[in-house]
Amino acid sequence: MLISSNELTSLLKRVFEGMGYPVGYYEDAAGLVKWLQVHGEQGFGELQRALPFVADSQRPAPQLLAEESQALLFDCHGRSALNCLPSIVELAEAKALGQGCVNVKVRNCHNRKFVLKLLVDCARQGISGLAYWQNGKQPVSEHVASIAAGALHPSYSEALLGDDSVPDTQTLTLLLSTRIDLLGQLHGSSSQRNGYRQVSPEQFARAGQASLESGMDISIELWQQLNQLAEAVLVESSEQSRSGAGGR
Amino acid sequence: MSTSSSIDTSIGAGQALRMRPPHVVMDLERLGSLHQSRLSFMRSLVRKIMREGWQIEPRRFELDADGYGTVIYRVQTTGDLFSFVLFSQYLDPDKRNDRVIASEWDLTMALCEGEVDDDYVEYLRRNVPLQEAGRLDAKVMVLSRANRSVRNFDSVVAALSAGQQPEVAQIAQVGYLYRTTAVYGSGKLGMADWEKVSGKHPDFARPFAAEMFNCFMLRNFSLQQAEHIARQRAPQTAVAMQPTIKRFFGIGNSTGLGMAPYLINHPQLISRWIEMRELALARVRGLGQVTAERLSRLHSLVERAILHIEQTVTEDAWQTENNRQVLEDFAALQDWLASQALHSWAPLLGWAERTLSLQAQELLNCILLELYPELVDNLEDRFALAESLELQPQMPGRDLLNLIEQHYAWALAIDFAAEGATETFWYRSEEKQEPRLGNCNLENGRDKQMPLGIGYLAQQCHRQLAAYLAEHPEHCTASFLLRHPEQRGIVRRMQSMAKTHYGEIQANLLDREVLPMHLLRCKLAFFGVSKFDPRSRLWVRNTMFQGAPLLEDIGQPFEDDWFLPLAPTVEVR
Repeated sequence: MLISSNELTSLLKRVFEGMGYPVGYYEDAAGLVKWLQVHGEQGFGELQRALPFVADSQRPAPQLLAEESQALLFDCHGRSALNCLPSIVELAEAKALGQGCVNVKVRNCHNRKFVLKLLVDCARQGISGLAYWQNGKQPVSEHVASIAAGALHPSYSEALLGDDSVPDTQTLTLLLSTRIDLLGQLHGSSSQRNGYRQVSPEQFARAGQASLESGMDISIELWQQLNQLAEAVLVESSEQSRSGAGGR
Repeated sequence: MSTSSSIDTSIGAGQALRMRPPHVVMDLERLGSLHQSRLSFMRSLVRKIMREGWQIEPRRFELDADGYGTVIYRVQTTGDLFSFVLFSQYLDPDKRNDRVIASEWDLTMALCEGEVDDDYVEYLRRNVPLQEAGRLDAKVMVLSRANRSVRNFDSVVAALSAGQQPEVAQIAQVGYLYRTTAVYGSGKLGMADWEKVSGKHPDFARPFAAEMFNCFMLRNFSLQQAEHIARQRAPQTAVAMQPTIKRFFGIGNSTGLGMAPYLINHPQLISRWIEMRELALARVRGLGQVTAERLSRLHSLVERAILHIEQTVTEDAWQTENNRQVLEDFAALQDWLASQALHSWAPLLGWAERTLSLQAQELLNCILLELYPELVDNLEDRFALAESLELQPQMPGRDLLNLIEQHYAWALAIDFAAEGATETFWYRSEEKQEPRLGNCNLENGRDKQMPLGIGYLAQQCHRQLAAYLAEHPEHCTASFLLRHPEQRGIVRRMQSMAKTHYGEIQANLLDREVLPMHLLRCKLAFFGVSKFDPRSRLWVRNTMFQGAPLLEDIGQPFEDDWFLPLAPTVEVR
């Protein structure tokens, strides 16, 4: 079935609110998922993979383990990026705006592909950004996303790692700078590396336009699953509550 | 005290105009006293349709003798094409319900981009009558439904069938044949997102323009349908309705609590709408002369306003008293005007602020806007805004504290420990997600309340931030939020709203005595409705497009003077 971008945002906000995300977080989480889906990067698939991790408000809060003038080290204690990365990136943004450059390492964080939308937010603040992470188990893949300061869309590349690599699949490395253009992508090409795929800013823009024009396809099963999750924000109806609706 | 307009400065109007300050304008009761103005969305839309001469014709008008069937209007604007598709079906009177929990309606309709072929009409037929239970696609821009005002409709059809005109006195009582109970757009139920509509279809790039057009078309259909049924019923005797009477029919609207959260959830947009209205008023207030012609028009509109209010019918005691007060105030206004030689509008406005009720002040303001289309109308293009609440993580905590104290002083001044100050909570019911108000002493569900108590949240945040800064005086906003993630939403909102001209609606929406009616009226006034008729503190009936031109008026001379419509006199032939 087809849904609109606004409809998706509204539903996802209620989903994450129902999971206990605070005000401010649930809007951000919805925005991260929506950005991937609208821009053709299977936000729904990422969300389905993320669902076992996202109801994680009972996990310890993200912890700032170390801070230097141009470096930050966080432990997310197994939280989803949806429920911790926006505030981490904002602290990094503040540092980048003050120091010109910051190197951030985020440990024990799931669903790191959602960082793409946060890079766009950084670019809007005049910050160039580059993110690197690995993901999966046999095969392990690696991913790079980067954006120029002021740009509307990032570039993204992914490929499979060689068999002899030692994976580090719960870490995100992030570089932010107001002084350096951090535009990077994985070496190689689809003929040289297994699973190599690259998405240009122009491709992201076209995907976004297509979603806006025609809506987005979502499976009925996922739609129903999300709606069921969103019911957590609703209050049981009663005769007393009906009087609070004002009608006759 | 007054504040400068950034807009006029930015567009090079020289010295910034002085607008009324936020604590005056954003007062909830004043916002609940607004009326239709030249800048209301219906007024802007009608000006556009009339000036551009949109061609609107029924491409398919398949109604049976009882008025049931399918109608498709083809809407050709200067550069675009749309289809308005309407389904009319029998409704069991027991199922006629204005609430959002209804499941069947007399009329259901959709505004679509481009032409619609037969297959697409069948797709719409399977979904549009279901409303929230159906699904649409991004070709559809607006979905709506309406219920018949049975008594009015039947008597109008009976009169026309008998070769008579409808009773004007009855139209003055209920000025419509149908009431619309919901108008959905902006991507609801799979429809086109606002970004698509505003980017691809400039005709509807102003806020709620497509939704207002839907209601405009519904109003015209309702009149055509009544005439059609009368003709079918008595072909020998039926007559068409006289245009002046036809124009006096609007379309009814029934708005409940569901509209209220919109104003809190779109604060940047609301601030902009208010700013444009205030800027228009400041332009008029700043004029250095009052010509005899404009003064004469003022007198005439004041007189019209008195008649309009006298003709406004409501059973609600509160609104009746408001209307009575406005009549008394406007009588005083007439006396005052007769005793003055005005050289600018400032003395009049100063007198009004000191003397008149809020509803009378705001009605007078709307009348003044009517006098100067050349100063007012061009602001209508500035009502749209790309909304985005942006966190400024690098802002020093001290600066954030100062920002709250400066821009949210109204919130810090509220005594939330006072009895009843946090007794109300706003929530979504499991019944069709209907927004409702609860009393936390009587009902469960406060833990699931919507975060609409902005004053309360601002005060809580201020307290936590002050405590945090006592320990970490040099920390920035991002550090504070890492420690206090629950403050993220309100901090982002406050930082963003501090950049707007008018900021927040200054009221404690959690108070036991809160009147959501004020929020509803504020938004409805921007839409351009008239004849406010509250049915409770949470629900109001009103009339849209009463007095506006008809489809058949397009192409005729147009004065844009359907403000404060009056009952017509029946032509005797």
